[in-house]
Amino acid sequence: MRYSIFIVTALVCLCSCKKEVNLNLDDAGPHIVIEGAVTDAAGPYTVKINMSVNFKAENTFPPVSGGRVKISDNEGHSDSLIETSPGVYMTQTMTGKPGNTYMLSVQLGDTLYTAASTMPFPVPFDSITFRRAGAFGKKNIRAVPNFQDPPGVKNYYLFNEYLNGVLVTKDIFVFNDRLTDGKYITRDLRNTDDILHEGDSLEIAMYCIDEPIFNYFNQLDQSGGGGGAFNSAAAPANPVSNISNGALGYFSAHTIRERRTKVHIE
Amino acid sequence: MRSFFNICLWFLPALASAQARHVVSGTIRDKHSGETLIGASIVLAESPNIAAVSNAYGFYSISATPGHYTMVVSFSGYGSDSIALDLRKDTSISIGLETGVRQLQEAVVTAGRNNSVSKPLMGVQKLSINEIKDLPVLFGEKDILKTLQLLPGVQSAGDGNSGFFVRGGNTDQNLILLDEATVYNPSHLLGFFSTFNSDAIKDVTLYKGATPAEYGGRLSSVLDVKMNDGNNKEYHASGGIGLISSRLNIEGPIEKDKSSFIISARRTYADVFLKLSKDSSTNQNSLYFYDINAKANLRLSDRDHLFFSGYFGKDNLGFGNTFGIDYGNVTGTLRWNHIFNSRLFSNASLIYSKYNYDIRINSGNNNIGITSYIKDLHFKEDMQYYANAGNKMNFGIDVISHTTSPGVISASQTSSFNPLTLQNKHAVESAAYVSHDLSLFTRLNINYGLRAGAFTVMGPGSFYTYDKDGNARDTAVYSGGKVVKNYFNLEPRFSASYKLGNGSSFKLAYTRTTQNLHLLSNSTSSNPTDVWIPSSNNVRPEIADQVSAGYYRNFHDNQYEFSSEVYYRNMQHQIDYKNGAQLIANENVESQVVFGKGRAYGWELFFKKKYGKFNGWISYTLSRTERQFSEINKGSWFPANQDRTHNLSIVGIYKAGKKWTLSADFTYYSGNAVTWPSGKYEVNGQIAFLYTRRNTYRMPAYHRLDVGATLQGKKTKRFDSNWNFSIYNLYGRENPYSITFEQDPDNATRTRALQYALFRWVPSITYNFKF
Repeated sequence: MRYSIFIVTALVCLCSCKKEVNLNLDDAGPHIVIEGAVTDAAGPYTVKINMSVNFKAENTFPPVSGGRVKISDNEGHSDSLIETSPGVYMTQTMTGKPGNTYMLSVQLGDTLYTAASTMPFPVPFDSITFRRAGAFGKKNIRAVPNFQDPPGVKNYYLFNEYLNGVLVTKDIFVFNDRLTDGKYITRDLRNTDDILHEGDSLEIAMYCIDEPIFNYFNQLDQSGGGGGAFNSAAAPANPVSNISNGALGYFSAHTIRERRTKVHIE
Repeated sequence: MRSFFNICLWFLPALASAQARHVVSGTIRDKHSGETLIGASIVLAESPNIAAVSNAYGFYSISATPGHYTMVVSFSGYGSDSIALDLRKDTSISIGLETGVRQLQEAVVTAGRNNSVSKPLMGVQKLSINEIKDLPVLFGEKDILKTLQLLPGVQSAGDGNSGFFVRGGNTDQNLILLDEATVYNPSHLLGFFSTFNSDAIKDVTLYKGATPAEYGGRLSSVLDVKMNDGNNKEYHASGGIGLISSRLNIEGPIEKDKSSFIISARRTYADVFLKLSKDSSTNQNSLYFYDINAKANLRLSDRDHLFFSGYFGKDNLGFGNTFGIDYGNVTGTLRWNHIFNSRLFSNASLIYSKYNYDIRINSGNNNIGITSYIKDLHFKEDMQYYANAGNKMNFGIDVISHTTSPGVISASQTSSFNPLTLQNKHAVESAAYVSHDLSLFTRLNINYGLRAGAFTVMGPGSFYTYDKDGNARDTAVYSGGKVVKNYFNLEPRFSASYKLGNGSSFKLAYTRTTQNLHLLSNSTSSNPTDVWIPSSNNVRPEIADQVSAGYYRNFHDNQYEFSSEVYYRNMQHQIDYKNGAQLIANENVESQVVFGKGRAYGWELFFKKKYGKFNGWISYTLSRTERQFSEINKGSWFPANQDRTHNLSIVGIYKAGKKWTLSADFTYYSGNAVTWPSGKYEVNGQIAFLYTRRNTYRMPAYHRLDVGATLQGKKTKRFDSNWNFSIYNLYGRENPYSITFEQDPDNATRTRALQYALFRWVPSITYNFKF
């Protein structure tokens, strides 16, 4: 449904000029960022706690040490995480199981942050294919994950691309099945830049996520910012986190299925 | 309804004063083309207080006690005519005015030019095509919507964009009418061109909130565009050839002096250049629009006149066979003018309007189509009763049946998508109005009126109610023709002017307006896929109250016109979207919106030199517009996206001799309110931006100078041509169209802000001809 974005961008690219600008942006002040996951793969699972920084600062995010971090589930298991390096906390015993609900609690000083996420059931990931698509002479290669969406249930998917072993960080790929329930899905992952080339090694991780996490990443995708056209949301905002007490980030229980292949066009 | 009319008709003669008066009435036309003239002024020289203005069909009616008079008729850009009148009984006189010729001494002519000062209506801007034809424009395409943006209280929606904001309203809060038909998407090519082909346009009037009672349905303004009727004396063809578009216009009599037709068409051909490309992935792209305006009118008798007008426009964008969208408006208006008697004028209209889009996507196995439309069937009856010179009544009824199809998805078997049909939405919007123009004590003119409107949401369909998280809590199913919800609104309209003498006046106005169709668009640019939704059990009508006051002065024989207006507008039930709202093909789209309040206030200054070798205007607006939603910025007021503190336009046209006309315009406005990140953090290995509050930042100020020149070719009786040259953004200012944020691709340790600018030094040449 993001084709209209595509048109505007294409039209604008025809005659626009682009340059870096220096804006006078306010200090946001440091905010707590918690990112945690439990999956159906073998543990240990990680919770990372960092601080946000101002826009103009370097992309190094100060770790937050000394938190008391716990993950429990609806079957009565509980696991206290160990800080293995600054800001990185690992589980010791927990095993993720589809259908279970996982509770995260993080105690930092006087503040308690909590979150809950239910792990959906996994969806088999059949294969990766490729196709060329684009406009105005720019036909990029796009990867297409192939899988059967289970009918009658709401499914939410998140895809991560690892190109030659490196996570592609520019794009967010989230699908829901609001318009595709029960279909065999062959929607392409549309990279912003032309990054896939024949012969590259590409691994795609397909996560089945729950609805709040889908909403989180969907909103994150639309919050790229703007202040003009390009169909960016008129007013970008922080995605709604499933973590309490105003923490940024998310806590997700999801399944993981992975496929790896060489980039090729039939 | 019948009894309503009977009462009105019975009541009306009582408004006429007791003294015996006779009426002069008729139609005012261009002497050579037979085109009716809208807003021409008629004055009795012996008693200048007895004056009238021709209506939308050129009809006028003026009454006076028996006697000898000189009736002076004048119209901007035309000469004036004076007619000796021996008024003994009701008389019918139709008048033809000569273009550009002045036969009478200024003193008499000026009596007629004074109307803008003495009329109680305020916040009105009129444009004639004559006035805009010499102004420099983007791509050489004359555009009334872009010229409007140079007037006070009107703001551009973006660089080169034909979308506009009026007094703090959104673009969807402008009612845009083409021969009375609502135009739902007034732009082509994503906003860079308007749907209005200036060849086909006769008159453009913008009401900035203090709207007369005959108009309703939108909060912030009414743009009333009227098409030419066509020359009823002889055949003419005219046209223009430009760099990216061409136009052709043909008009002539069907039966001389009685009926005429006009057809105007234009097409852009940017895609022709794409076709020239050898690259197969480029030459299969399409990017064009075309539109056709057609109108015919037929005089059945001295009292009856039929008009048919239609508009058809289509945009087509396509990228090979992988993606295509076409969209456009269709309107049709059938009108019947009937003159009951010299005092009572009636017009009945049957109107059709439709906007639709059609998207085709072919991507691998995914063949899908998405369509959507909004369609109106509209009946309107307007009556004008001229009791006497200072005493006029307008009344009528208005019924619109709206059908919207918010989305139909068709998909092939192999597609990843399921076919889906969102249910159609039906509603009936009806209104009755009455308004009365009255002169009191010679200096005071008032206009008061009332518009009573109902909006009825109809079945068939399922109607949901939502909890605060947006989940459907309850569903009520209604069958066809059943009333789901009824909204009733009374809209009082009042304006008054008080003449201070010396060609100046003071005016006051209060207006309430309501809006029951809302455009869902969560991006800043105009999208062909934006969807209109009607008020419903979840979405309440938007309501605005506006008060305004102003001082007007004409001086130096009405060569100069000055006005200063202040306004304050309060808006209820304004619409915004939840974070991450999914607006396309969503049955529960109403669960994605939030409701809040708005307020806007400002001060508008306008100074215009209307006549002479050098003419033009300066317009300045100081304004503020804010919104309040409990979900945003913790419920505190914040500036709306279109909030711009300063807006300045300077326009100048200089006739340098017989051959050359030079023109220039300069625009400056403060930056929009925008939301930019203040911080950043990392999730899923990606940089995410941290936002603090909505709309606390400002885009850089916008400014631009355009210049143009028109070279008049040799003019003969048979052939007339000119060349038009212009440069848009002469000094090449990089006005930011958008600013985006990203991780620096060359340096992973930093993020950066990127500014995109669109149009710098855009030259254009157009050749216009007429024979």
